[in-house]
Amino acid sequence: MSGILVIAEHRRDEVRPVTLELVGAAQSARRVPEERVAVAVLGAEPERSVPSVSVAGVDEVLTVKLAAGEFDPDAYEAAVRALIEARKPSLVLLPHSIDSFGYAAAVAAKSNHGFATDVFRFGYQDGALVATRGGYGQKVSIEMDFPAREVVILTLRAGVFKPPGARASPSVTSFAAPPARARVVSRSFIEVSAADDVDMTTAEFILAIGRGVGEQANVERFRELAEAVGAVLGCSRPIADAGWLPKSRQIGQSGKTASACKLYLAMGISGAIQHLAGMKHVSTIVAVNADAGASIFTVAKYGIVGDIFEIADALHSHFAS
Amino acid sequence: MKLLVAVKQVAVLDEDFEIRADGRDVHADFLLRDLNEWDDYSLEEAMKIKEAGAAPVEVVVVCVGAAEADESLRKCLAKGADRAIRVWDEAIEGSDSIAVARLLAAVARREKPDMLFAGVQSSDHAFASTGIATAAFLDWPHAAVLTHLAYTAGGKSAVFRRELEGGELHEMQIECPAVLTIQLGINTPRYASLRSIKQAAAKPIEVLSLEDLNVAPGDVGERGSLSRVRRMYVPDKGRAEMIEGSVEEQAARLAQIIKELAGSAS
Amino acid sequence: MTRDPTAVTRVLFEDFAPAAIAVFYVIAFAAVTVFCFGVYVEVRKYRRGSAADVDGRLLARLQAMIGTVLSHRTIAHRDRAAGAAHRLIFYGFVLLFLGTATITLDYDILGPLFGVHFWQGAFYLWFSLVLDVAGVLLTGGLLYMMYRRGWLKPPKLDYARPDRQPGDPDYDRSGYRREDWAFLWTLLLIVATGYLLEAARLVWLEATPEVSAYRWWSPAGAALAAGLRAAGMSAASGAALRTGLWWFHGLLALLFIAVTPFTKVKHILTAAGSLMLRDPLAAQRLPRVPEQQQRAGAQYITDFSWKQLLSLDACTKCGRCHEVCPARAVGAPLSPRDVILSLREFANRTLESATLPAQAELDVHGKGPGQVAMETLWSCRTCMACVEVCPVAIEHVPVIVQMRRQLVEAGQMDPQLKKTLQTIHKTGNSFGEGRRKRATWTKALPFAVKDARKDPVDVLWFVGDYASFDPRNQRVTQGLAWLLQEAGVDFGILYEGESNAGNDVRRVGEEGLYEVLATSNIESLSAASFKTIVTTDPHSYNTIRNEYPDFGGRYEIEHYTTLLLRLLQEGRLRIAHPLGLRVTFHDPCHLGRFNKGYDAPREILRLLGCELIEMGRCRANSFCCGAGGGRIWMPDPVGLDRPAHNRMREAAAIPGLQVYVVSCPKDLTMFEDALKATGNEGRFVVRELIELVREARGQQQAEGAAGVAA
Repeated sequence: MSGILVIAEHRRDEVRPVTLELVGAAQSARRVPEERVAVAVLGAEPERSVPSVSVAGVDEVLTVKLAAGEFDPDAYEAAVRALIEARKPSLVLLPHSIDSFGYAAAVAAKSNHGFATDVFRFGYQDGALVATRGGYGQKVSIEMDFPAREVVILTLRAGVFKPPGARASPSVTSFAAPPARARVVSRSFIEVSAADDVDMTTAEFILAIGRGVGEQANVERFRELAEAVGAVLGCSRPIADAGWLPKSRQIGQSGKTASACKLYLAMGISGAIQHLAGMKHVSTIVAVNADAGASIFTVAKYGIVGDIFEIADALHSHFAS
Repeated sequence: MKLLVAVKQVAVLDEDFEIRADGRDVHADFLLRDLNEWDDYSLEEAMKIKEAGAAPVEVVVVCVGAAEADESLRKCLAKGADRAIRVWDEAIEGSDSIAVARLLAAVARREKPDMLFAGVQSSDHAFASTGIATAAFLDWPHAAVLTHLAYTAGGKSAVFRRELEGGELHEMQIECPAVLTIQLGINTPRYASLRSIKQAAAKPIEVLSLEDLNVAPGDVGERGSLSRVRRMYVPDKGRAEMIEGSVEEQAARLAQIIKELAGSAS
Repeated sequence: MTRDPTAVTRVLFEDFAPAAIAVFYVIAFAAVTVFCFGVYVEVRKYRRGSAADVDGRLLARLQAMIGTVLSHRTIAHRDRAAGAAHRLIFYGFVLLFLGTATITLDYDILGPLFGVHFWQGAFYLWFSLVLDVAGVLLTGGLLYMMYRRGWLKPPKLDYARPDRQPGDPDYDRSGYRREDWAFLWTLLLIVATGYLLEAARLVWLEATPEVSAYRWWSPAGAALAAGLRAAGMSAASGAALRTGLWWFHGLLALLFIAVTPFTKVKHILTAAGSLMLRDPLAAQRLPRVPEQQQRAGAQYITDFSWKQLLSLDACTKCGRCHEVCPARAVGAPLSPRDVILSLREFANRTLESATLPAQAELDVHGKGPGQVAMETLWSCRTCMACVEVCPVAIEHVPVIVQMRRQLVEAGQMDPQLKKTLQTIHKTGNSFGEGRRKRATWTKALPFAVKDARKDPVDVLWFVGDYASFDPRNQRVTQGLAWLLQEAGVDFGILYEGESNAGNDVRRVGEEGLYEVLATSNIESLSAASFKTIVTTDPHSYNTIRNEYPDFGGRYEIEHYTTLLLRLLQEGRLRIAHPLGLRVTFHDPCHLGRFNKGYDAPREILRLLGCELIEMGRCRANSFCCGAGGGRIWMPDPVGLDRPAHNRMREAAAIPGLQVYVVSCPKDLTMFEDALKATGNEGRFVVRELIELVREARGQQQAEGAAGVAA
C-alpha cells in the first residue's frame, strides 16, 4: 500500500478548511488501517501551517518550502510532481478549488497519472478505484475508473466530506521541492468592496434572489420583503454580475458562504452547483421556484413550486411593514 | 499576431432523456448541442484584444468534435473569428479532457499563436481541466479563472486577476505566450445575428485529422485518457418537503416556518 | 347682358408701363426658376436614397390619392376641427391658385397664341364671386389655425421632444415655430392684400361702368371698397394704393411660390406624393432584406428608399403620432414625430448639397444632431398607432424596424433581449422550454388533441408561445380546446412542429432569425393537411396572414374570434345563460388596428349578454399594452410609467366595470399584472374572451378560477 497524499491548500498564510475535508475523505479511502495518510503543506513558511493540519487521521505532515508565499502554479506543479515521484502514493487528493483549477490538470497531464475532478464520492470496487462526479449540468452521476494507473489524482468537491474532529500529533518531515522558474508572479489581493455594510457570512436568516426575479426593477420588492421578514438580502451570481445587487451580496463558490445561516429562503434560484456551494450546508433551506425540476429542491428542506412574486406578496402580508 | 481560442460544443439534456444501452452515456437523441457558455467569454476576450490593437490580430478558433460541432464554430466565425479549425477522427471518440488537450496542444504547435484562451470549464461536464492540461503539453505558462485581463497582442507579459472563493481577486503577472482560462463575467459577449451566422457559412472550416497533427491514435480515445467512464446513471435526488395549496396557504406556512426559526435567529 | 361681354373683365396690368410689366415677368420667371431649382434639389435628395418597392398601378394610386385629398378623410380623422379648418384652407387656396392659373391660361397662353379669350363676361363674373368666397374660406381656416396655435395650444403642437435634453444642439424647436407662424401670416397677408388690392382697384375705377356695375360680384372687395370710400379715399389715392398693393401682393405671392420647396409649403406636393405611394400594409407586412443588399438594416441615410425620403418631407409636424404613441405617453425617449423630423433634418443637412458627403458622415445612428439614439429605437412597441393616424401616410414603423436591424447586427440591444433571441433560436420559443414541452398543456384535457402532423384536420390551430407555455394563458388555451371539442370542430395542433411564429422577432429587427422561424413553420404547415388555420395569438395571426406569403406560405387563417362567433351564430355552441356583466373590450393591436378585426369580439360579447362600455381609446385608436416590438423581452426602465398601467387607469374610470376583456395572450399577461400594480385588484377582473364564453356556457375554467358573475 503506497499511501494517500493530501495536498493542503493555503491562502494568505492560512490553511483553508477544505484541507481538513480532504483528510476526512482520506480516512475512508484507507484500504487497510495501516495505509499512511500524508498531508503536504506548501509555502514560504510551511512549518507554520503544521498545527492546522495536525488532526486525527494524519500520519505525516510534509513541509515543502517554496520561494513564493502565495500560489504559484509552476512551483506547486513541480513540488507535487516531485512528491508523487518520491512517495508514489496510490491516491492524491486535492480540493476542487480555484487554485487547483490552475495546476492540477497540468500535474496529471505531465505525469500521466489517473485524473478526475469535482469528485463527491469515491471508493474501491474489486480493488479498483472508482470516483463519482456529476455530468450534463449535474443532472446525471458518472462513475469513473482509472485502468492501469498506479497513481490517481482526484480533486474533491468542497462541503461533501466530513473533516475529522480530534487533534493528533503526526510526524513532520521536510521535503525539498525542485526549483521551478516562476513564470507567474503574484502581485496583490483585491477585496471586493462591500458597497453596503453587510456581511453575508454572519447573517443568520438570508433571503436570496436569483434569475427568477426577471428584471432589475423587481429587486426592490424583494429588498422590502427581506426587511419585512427580518432577513438579509442575498443573491446568486447572475444578479451580481448584472449589477442589480453589489457583489458583496453574492452567495456561492465565488461569492460568500452563508456560514452562520440557520434559515435560507431561496426565491427564483435554480440551484446551480456554484451557488449551492455557498449555502447547501444551511440546516433549513426553503426554496420557491416556478420550475418543479429545479436542482435547489434537492437540497432544500421545504419547497414551493410557484410564482415567486405571488408568494412574496402573500408572505409580506404576514409581517408588519 | 495570432490568438488561438479553444471552444467546445457542449451537450444539454433534453426532456425525459434516456441512458444508452451500454449505460455509459445518455442516448444521442436526447442531447441538444450548443456552444459552451464559457467560450462566449473567451472568444469575446480575444475579439476585444483584436479590435483594440493597432497591428492586425488573427483570431483562430479550434474545436475537437465531430461534424455537428461546425455549427458552434460558425457562430464563432459570425462573431468575428477569422478562421476555424475542427479536429476529428473516429479514434478520438471516448477521449477525456486530457486527451483532447493533447490534440489542442498539437494544433497550437502547428498554428504558433501568441496566446491560447479556453473557458474555465464546460457547461456540460465541468472538468475544468482541458485548458491547463493543454498548457502542460505545451509547457507554456498558464493561469485559470480570469475575470480581468490586460494584454496587448504580441506582448511579453500580461497582468490578470483571478477570482478566488469568496469573491476576492488575486492579481498576478504572467509571461507570454501563455494559456489562460477565462471565467464568466469578464466581459459582455457580443451577439451574433442569424444573418452573420448565415454569412459565416461562407468562411471555410479546416478539418484536421490525427495524421495532420502527428498524434498517434493511442494518444487519444480511451487509451489516451487518464480516466474512463464506467457507468452513467440518474441519481436518486433528495427531495424537499413540498408545501402545497393555494398561494395564500403556501405563504401562511412559509410565514410560520420563518417565525419559528428566524425568531431564534435574529 | 347689356354690355359687350368682352368688356366685362379685368384689364390686367392696367395703366402699367411696359417696362414695369417686363420687370414683373422677369421676377415671375425668376421665382418659378427658383421654385424649379428647389424641386430639383429635393428630387436629387430623394434619388440619393435606395430603390423603393412600390407596386405599379400608378393610375389607381393617383385616383385614390386625389380622393383622399379632396375628402380630407385623413386630416379629419380623429380631429374634426383641424379637418374642417384645413378644408377651408385647402379649398380656398386651391380655388385661388386655379384662379391665377386660369388667368395665366387666358392672358399668357390662349390669348397670344390663338387669340382666344374666355375670361370675360358671365364666366368672369362667376369666377370673381367664387374666388372672393374662396378668399373668405381661406381666411377663416387661417384664423382658426392661428387661434389653435396661439390660444388653444394643444400639447401635441408644442414640439417638446422626449429624445433630447436641454442643451443638445437640436433640442430647441423655435425655428419650427417661427416657420409655422410665418407660413400662416404670409398666406393671410397675401389674402388680405389681395382683398385690399381688389378694393383699391374698385375705388380707383369707380367711374368705369364695366367695373362698378359688376363690383358686387366680388362682394368682399366691394364691401371693403365701400368702406374705403366712406373713409374718404379718392380715386387717385385708390390708384396709388392699388399700384403699391399690386406689387406687394404680387411679389409676396411670387416669393411664396419661390420658397415653396425650401419650406413647410412643400407639404402641398410631398404630402400628395406620400399619400400616392402609401403601402396600406406598411406595418403589418415588413419589407424583406433584398438578397444582394450588403447591410441588413438602415445605417446610413441613403439606406432609406426614395419613397421614405420623400415621405419624411411630407411631415407637417401635426403631432398626432406623438400624441398616440404609447411609449411617448409613459415618458420613454421616443416620439415617432421626432424620429421622422430628425431623419429629415439629417437628410436635409447631408443630401441637399451638390456632392454627397463621405459615407461616415451619413450614419443616422447616435446622439448627434439629426441622429436617432438606440434608446429611442428600442422604446417602440410597433403598435402602428402612429402609422394609422398619420394624415400624410408616413410609415414610421418600417423606418424604426429597419434601423433596429442595424442595431441587431451590431449587437446593440438589451442583454435580456439578446438572451431571449438566443433562446428562441435554440428552443423555438421565448420561454427556453424544451420543444417537446410545447403541448404539455394538452395533458390536462381528458380528450386527445389531434396531431396535425400525422392526421389531416379541418382546422389547424396555431397555438403560439405564450398560449402554450405561460400558466395563466394555458388555462385559456385549454378552454378553447374544450369549446372546439364541444362544437365538434375537427381540429389539431402541430405539437413540436410549431415554433414561435416570429412576428415580434421580426419587429425587433432580427430578420435572419425570423426567416429561420418562418421557414420552419411553413415547412411544418406544408407537411400537414388542413383547410384553414385558426390562432389564439394575434401576433402569430398577423405574421402568418400578411408576411408568410412572402416566404412561400400562403394560408387561409383567422383569429379565434371570428371562428367562435360563427360557431355561436350557427348554434354549434350554445349559451346556457347570459352573463349580464358590464365589460369593456381592449382591442389587441395586431388583431384590431393591424387587421381590422374589431367586430367579431364585440358581437360575441353581445351574444353573451354583456353590456359593453367602450373606453375612449378603442378600435383603431386602442392603446397598446406595451408588450409589442419585443418590449415584453426587455425590462422596463425603472421609474417610468407603463403603457399597461396607463390603459388600466383608463378602464378603471368606467363606473361599475366588472370585466376587462382581452383576446390576446400578451394582453392577458400584461393586464393581469397591471391590474395588481395599479391597485385595481378586487374592483374588476381581467378575462380572456374565451373564458367568458365558457362561463356563459356554465363551465368553470380549470384550476378553480372563480366565475365572475358569482
